[in-house]
Amino acid sequence: MSGISYKSKGSILNPLKNLAFLGRGSVTEPLEPREASANYRGFHVNDWELCIGCSTCQKVCDNAAITMVKIPGLPEDPVKGVRNERPAIDYGRCCWCGLCVDICPTGSLALSREYVHTCREDELDSYFVLPDPNGIHGHYFPKGWDKSVDADLVDLERQPMTEMESGERIGSFAEIVAGYSDQQAIIEASRCVQCGMCHDSCPTHMHAPEYIRAIWEGNLDEAVRQIYRTNPFSHICGRVCTRRCETACSIGRRGDPVAIRWLKRYAMDSVSDERVREIAAEGKVDYLTGRKVAVIGAGPAGLTAAFDLVKKGHEVTVYEALEKAGGMTRYGIPEYRLPYDRLDADVAVITSLGVGIRYNTRVGRDVTMQQLQQEYDAVLIALGLQMGRSTRIPGSDHENVRRSVELLRMITEGEKFDIPDSAVVIGGGNVAMDIARSLARLQRQAYGEVRVTVVALEDFDHFLADPEEVKEAREEGVEILDSRGPKGCVIDGQGELQGLKTLGVLSIFDEKGRFAPSYDESDEQFHPGHMVIEAIGQMTDTALLGDKLTEQLEWNRGRLRVDEEGHTSVSWLWAAGDMVTGPDVVHAVADGHRVAASIDSTLAD
Amino acid sequence: MSEHGEGHSESYQRIRSKKRLAEILEVATSFEQKAYEFYTSLIPKVSKRIRYLVEELAEEEKGHYEMFSGLASNPDIVALLRDEIETPVEDHKFSDHIHLPDLGENPDDQAILQYALSREDAAMKQYRDLADHTGPGAIHDLFEYLANEETKHKRELEAMYYEIVHSGGP
Repeated sequence: MSGISYKSKGSILNPLKNLAFLGRGSVTEPLEPREASANYRGFHVNDWELCIGCSTCQKVCDNAAITMVKIPGLPEDPVKGVRNERPAIDYGRCCWCGLCVDICPTGSLALSREYVHTCREDELDSYFVLPDPNGIHGHYFPKGWDKSVDADLVDLERQPMTEMESGERIGSFAEIVAGYSDQQAIIEASRCVQCGMCHDSCPTHMHAPEYIRAIWEGNLDEAVRQIYRTNPFSHICGRVCTRRCETACSIGRRGDPVAIRWLKRYAMDSVSDERVREIAAEGKVDYLTGRKVAVIGAGPAGLTAAFDLVKKGHEVTVYEALEKAGGMTRYGIPEYRLPYDRLDADVAVITSLGVGIRYNTRVGRDVTMQQLQQEYDAVLIALGLQMGRSTRIPGSDHENVRRSVELLRMITEGEKFDIPDSAVVIGGGNVAMDIARSLARLQRQAYGEVRVTVVALEDFDHFLADPEEVKEAREEGVEILDSRGPKGCVIDGQGELQGLKTLGVLSIFDEKGRFAPSYDESDEQFHPGHMVIEAIGQMTDTALLGDKLTEQLEWNRGRLRVDEEGHTSVSWLWAAGDMVTGPDVVHAVADGHRVAASIDSTLAD
Repeated sequence: MSEHGEGHSESYQRIRSKKRLAEILEVATSFEQKAYEFYTSLIPKVSKRIRYLVEELAEEEKGHYEMFSGLASNPDIVALLRDEIETPVEDHKFSDHIHLPDLGENPDDQAILQYALSREDAAMKQYRDLADHTGPGAIHDLFEYLANEETKHKRELEAMYYEIVHSGGP
């Protein structure tokens, strides 16, 4: 405006002065703005380093003033809870209420003290702004309305879960976790901002925002319905899921992530088994396709596939080598973490839909793969990782050196074995914790004291077991030693196992970052134990395939080669679950869905 | 053993404590060649599930064998082939392992890896010892190089071992 004197007035030539504007565009900052107050609600600023693209700001905006814009080049990682999107603000709609700032889980969004912006008619788009830390005109303005404790709409603290005290829980295999009360569940559900990061990160893409919202609304039937959209193993996943959703939860950026797993558990426990079966049956077709599918293995992958396929009208028969269904979730997870009656409830939903399970029927012994090929239109193999690996260190062939998977199965089945008065467990994963804590309970019952030592290759910074498992095991009297590598089992002159020798671990990763421990030969320790349990790794027993089929199939470094849909190189055979994707319940469920869709599609052709 | 006998043994040992480089390379080449032949013959015997492992080992040994053969015809090395090398007392590691232990008819992946690791370990120690027993110069550097090659291969195998045995597979 420097070319025009505002003091000029009154002259008859004034109209001519308007000619000065001819051919000149308007300006975006007509006046030097006055300084705004400290908490002024001006234009947005967004710290892109903090922002994770969760879109909570978009969802809270009642004026629909926020649009999430994909930004090429920004990182995107659903598992870590990061999207390559950033909020853009339409200042034609924004009312500067600041709700987007108050609810922003990361605290990346704030309002600045910048408030002046004008434009020419052909620049109306300039009111649609992608805020970054620099302000809309690239000039620095201090923050105005910003995240504060008083205005923060995010509840950072999780509802506590009631658990049995260690002294009480060590006396039995009763479930440790009590579960949420109605009030706790509603409060916990109210912490969810519905961003959907959990949905993106979940292998089976559970509709967690939807079921959490239903819990908050008190509509538990709807919560179960949303859960069953993607997961027929919901009692199980409500208790033992590896919960990647909680790692990705946006609330976890500044506080405790929403207890998504416990909320699922609450919803499932709150609705009767009968009603759950009714809800799960919704959408089942009312006709039979006449196509038959055999599933080998009644674990999460096999039964999820069976669940999907039977709902599509196919006749599904599951062949299970053991007495009961559940696979490694039953025979590998102790009852104090996963009560068998809840597992039974999940299985009952699936069988209630018409899935037949032939228990105690081992494929390869009681029925051959060739018979299955002839009798069925498709065969799914979902065996799980049911065999434990051995360290094969000296002395590991002693009869009191056992595999964790074998002992856990025996404990589940109630099979008797001599409870050792002292034991050493080799391994640092959840399976090692499971067997250590199970033995601790059995020792307490048999001898009144716990003498279990866990030795792990990893240091505590790289421990594989859940921190909760480690903490609870210690509370129960289990000694856990990190950075110890097994050297040999010690057997006395009478042939009795006396314990395990270990070496200190100098490093666990090689220069390429691979797991390759190196040992300090001068740091040897002896750990007394009349039983040594190996819990180091698991594998699949594929002997049931037979030599001919094994040769026919394509393999990928020890595992069956499958395409993206779980189809093997043999037209009638699919594979899914731990034997393909590695050990994880919710991955197995996701795999079951994927393979079922592929089988259904093939059978429809 | 009598004093005489013991002395005789010592003098014999002294005679045998020096070998020509050509001899050492010949034994080492034979070591790698037999390993290659062993793994190649093992390929059809193991389950197709783990055949990749034996195929990779055979390929690796073939590479070693070709490297040794190349060394023996390298003009820089040929000039040194007649040089006598002070060999360490424990000069038996190769010969022990050239007589390949029986892995059985149908070894699993873990047994194969353990076997391969023991071979690499023996070779690595042998070259390291030989390097320690030679003064500075081309031959010393050669053994250092070979020891490092075997060390690298052993580390690769160790990483594979832990990946397969301790984590449930790749």
